[in-house]
Amino acid sequence: MAKVLEGPGMGLLSKWGMAVPHYVVITDAAQLDSLSQANPWLRESKLVVKAHEAIGGRMKLGLVKVGLDLAAARNASEEMIGKEVAQVNISQVIISEMVDHEEEYYIAVKSTRSGAELLLAAMGGIEVEENWEKVKKLDVPLGSDPELTDVEALAKSAGFDDALVKKVAEFGIKLFQCYDQEDGNYLEINPLVVRKSNGELTALDAVTMVDGDARFRHPDWNFSFASEFGRPYSDNEKTIMEIDSRVKGSVKFIEIPGGDTALLPAGGGASVYYSDAVLAMGGTLANYSEYSGDPPDWAVEALTEKVCSLKGIKRIIVGGAIANFTNVKKTFSGIINGFRKAKAEGKLEGVEIWVRRGGPFEKEGLAAMKALENEGFNIHVFDRYTPLTDIVDYAIKGVKA
Amino acid sequence: MSILANKETRVLISGGPAGVNAAKRMAEFCHLSRLPYNVSAFVFPPDAGKTIEVPFGSELVSVPVFKSVADATKEFPEINASLIYIGPNRAYAGTMEALAEPNIKLVSMITEGVPEKDAKKLRIEAERLGKTFNGPSSIGIISAGESRLGVIGGSFDNLVLCRLHRQGSFGVITKSGGLSNEIMWICSQFADGITTAIGIGGDTYPGSDFATYLEMFEKDPQTKAVVMVGEMGGDLEELAAAWYAKAPRRIKLIAVVSGYCQEQLPKGMKFGHAGAKEGLHGEGSARSKAEALRSAGAIVPATFGGLGPAIKQTYEDILASGDIKPIDEEALAPRHLPKPIESAIKDGDVFAEPLVKSTICDDRGEEPLYSGYPASELINKGYQIPHVIGLLWDKRLVSPVEAEIIKRIVILSADHGPCVSGALVTIIAACAGIQMAQAVAAGMIMIGPRFGGAVTGAGKWFSHAVKNNMTVDEFLAYMKENVGPVPGIGHRVKSVRNPDKRVKELISYVKSTGIPTPHLDFALAVEEKTTAKKDTLILNVDGTMAAVLVDLSFPVESLNGFFILSRTIGLIGHWIDQNRQGSRLVRLFRYLANYTTGKRREVPPLES
Repeated sequence: MAKVLEGPGMGLLSKWGMAVPHYVVITDAAQLDSLSQANPWLRESKLVVKAHEAIGGRMKLGLVKVGLDLAAARNASEEMIGKEVAQVNISQVIISEMVDHEEEYYIAVKSTRSGAELLLAAMGGIEVEENWEKVKKLDVPLGSDPELTDVEALAKSAGFDDALVKKVAEFGIKLFQCYDQEDGNYLEINPLVVRKSNGELTALDAVTMVDGDARFRHPDWNFSFASEFGRPYSDNEKTIMEIDSRVKGSVKFIEIPGGDTALLPAGGGASVYYSDAVLAMGGTLANYSEYSGDPPDWAVEALTEKVCSLKGIKRIIVGGAIANFTNVKKTFSGIINGFRKAKAEGKLEGVEIWVRRGGPFEKEGLAAMKALENEGFNIHVFDRYTPLTDIVDYAIKGVKA
Repeated sequence: MSILANKETRVLISGGPAGVNAAKRMAEFCHLSRLPYNVSAFVFPPDAGKTIEVPFGSELVSVPVFKSVADATKEFPEINASLIYIGPNRAYAGTMEALAEPNIKLVSMITEGVPEKDAKKLRIEAERLGKTFNGPSSIGIISAGESRLGVIGGSFDNLVLCRLHRQGSFGVITKSGGLSNEIMWICSQFADGITTAIGIGGDTYPGSDFATYLEMFEKDPQTKAVVMVGEMGGDLEELAAAWYAKAPRRIKLIAVVSGYCQEQLPKGMKFGHAGAKEGLHGEGSARSKAEALRSAGAIVPATFGGLGPAIKQTYEDILASGDIKPIDEEALAPRHLPKPIESAIKDGDVFAEPLVKSTICDDRGEEPLYSGYPASELINKGYQIPHVIGLLWDKRLVSPVEAEIIKRIVILSADHGPCVSGALVTIIAACAGIQMAQAVAAGMIMIGPRFGGAVTGAGKWFSHAVKNNMTVDEFLAYMKENVGPVPGIGHRVKSVRNPDKRVKELISYVKSTGIPTPHLDFALAVEEKTTAKKDTLILNVDGTMAAVLVDLSFPVESLNGFFILSRTIGLIGHWIDQNRQGSRLVRLFRYLANYTTGKRREVPPLES
């Protein structure tokens, strides 16, 4: 699942024939001067200015301003761009027209195991969350399209006025098309409104999640994916993502400021068990990381450097199950190089390193790790005979085997 | 007994190098378990028609590569399973191709990053056909002692440690590849090992899920308990719990679920597996999954660390029930993997008769040793190319005087213009667009009795004469009777009146050093006699070099080497020269050929 920001998300809806408000995305308030000459709606409509970043709760943070004229929108943009909010530097804003409307509705398509669900409610905004039982669902089996009559029946059952049923159903079909053709995971329009001026159903706000793995068959996806956890990716995270995108296997890195325990485990499955173990022992996580699929040693080295740079950590957990085909000796040599570099840069002062691993060339890899003792590292190395997450217990409780 | 894969499973692997690697790992397993090889063929269009050699025990098995699944199954109708090792953009088509083949009942896919829609379509297609689609992102399937599909189980040592050569009593289902291995290891440490282990992959919508395989395990009498490793996200663990609770089940179910950390981490964060993600409304949390499994009657340790004791307890309970007996490990010992010859030699297990012997250069260390001396040390202590020649041609460090003489010989014979046969051939080859190594070699082929190649011959006969104390007359008579013209005597253009400056130079330097020169003296005496007969029968450069080098006690076999080495410098120069000029193809002018083939005449009719 990959999140698409509002601008490109609106672009996808529009591509499949759904009406969206006029909008522009800018990185500098001055761009509005020329844009407003080319686009009369910027001069004629009331405007909304929003930070175009993956930040949760924008309304509360004051990153959404409504009911502005062009001059006020320019001021609001100027104020937002370059501002540091919740440790995030706002680099873009989206300016869209306010669409005059009365009722608000909700429509969504969600991927399910057997196909998809089309969800519809004759209410919008936060009302939907509060009245989830009033949302009506239509199952669409994989490989089929929803029938217009079925969507009309859905709209009726959701309580839409007869006059609107056909329009909503047609809109639903378009939304499904967009979901299906664009490899969507989840498309939600909330609110969906009727534009007073022309009676057209218009998507005022949307959540757009597409399948990032399908990028290869969408040459027109010219946007990058946004983070989904309420803040944009940091530079360190972006560096590792960039490496991840071009190597065999994978390296993953997410920072969690303030934690005392850094993770450098192998394996998508084991890494989550290590995270659980840290929290179960009363530790706090400084990051989530994993490497898997026998990545090149330099990629693991780069990941190690980022892990060693985490502020305020007391320990690093180099855990891992018994690898199937990841070369323990080679990936460990990447980690060892990363440790040496970090140490030379004065990092790792007072940081304990705890290691547990098995797999191809485990003896050699573990011996090389153990040899770091002689270089002044505070390192504790365990092999397959120590259960997977026991090193976390030792590390946090201070008990040694 | 086992599920999914057994002794009758015959495999087709679709894909390139990763598939070949899997095939090798599968061969190790078959060898370990004393089974015939279970990989029948590959599908990989770029290599269609070739075979791939896979080490199997101490032999190599040839596995044919086909263009399509249909081609492979036509040749090998026994193929009943397929492994997909194809990139994410073509994995869907490759899997559909395999599913379409009537005999193929199981398709397992290792490919990661397959679009969700493709995976869903494949699952539905497999269901429609009554087949099993496992994966994407699956590490594979292994039935202990029966069949291995993919790299699941890891290295050979691990297969042995996990006792995968024989059946135990525990089934294993995991999303994670690494953890499947970990659980097999735990089952062999704390219990009697596994029946079948399956990696279902960590995608959101795997082709087959826990419940499907639990149902299969329930029907396999050998499997007494199943260990299931789940994680947050999706509802597959809940479906498994519902299956377990639905009816009284024969198998015991031990399960763990990861993802409690999500309770304290930012919502929406991505973990290693695509499917490891709670829903937008918090569905599929680790806690709710664990609770669902627990209330369905499964044994659910609070943490992964609790798995070992839980598995141990379960094993002891089953043992106590009399349902199984402890396994006699002695009776079912695994077979060992033959060592590669290099590690066997290293470990002192075998003696191998060497094929060749080298007495001059040893490259087994971090740098070559020339007659025992490290190359870098020679450089650092100021030694020169003549010393290296001495070490590699005569296994000794030459003296400063000898080194100087060798250096002069090399300089004097490095080149002799474009007209001599060696250079001419190299030039013609260069002009014909031939590459350096071949063009220089062509020039070198010219080195022989009439051009540059008389050094060894001259050295041999001068040395013969000196050793036998012959007089010049005796020598010339001997040569006339037994050998022919004296090698090293005579020149095409040089003569007494037109002496070879190189020869004079070399002789005068050698004489100035004061070293004993019996062979050179003899050669000069011979020249005195031969030039009296004919002006051009001078001691030529080959003969002079030969006499001097024999005086320096270089072995006779090495002598031509001095000319070959020196002239290579010139030949390379000529090739570079022609290339830099961009010279065009040359051919002989007709007027330089004397045509004596006779007049044109009519061809007679072909006799039948």
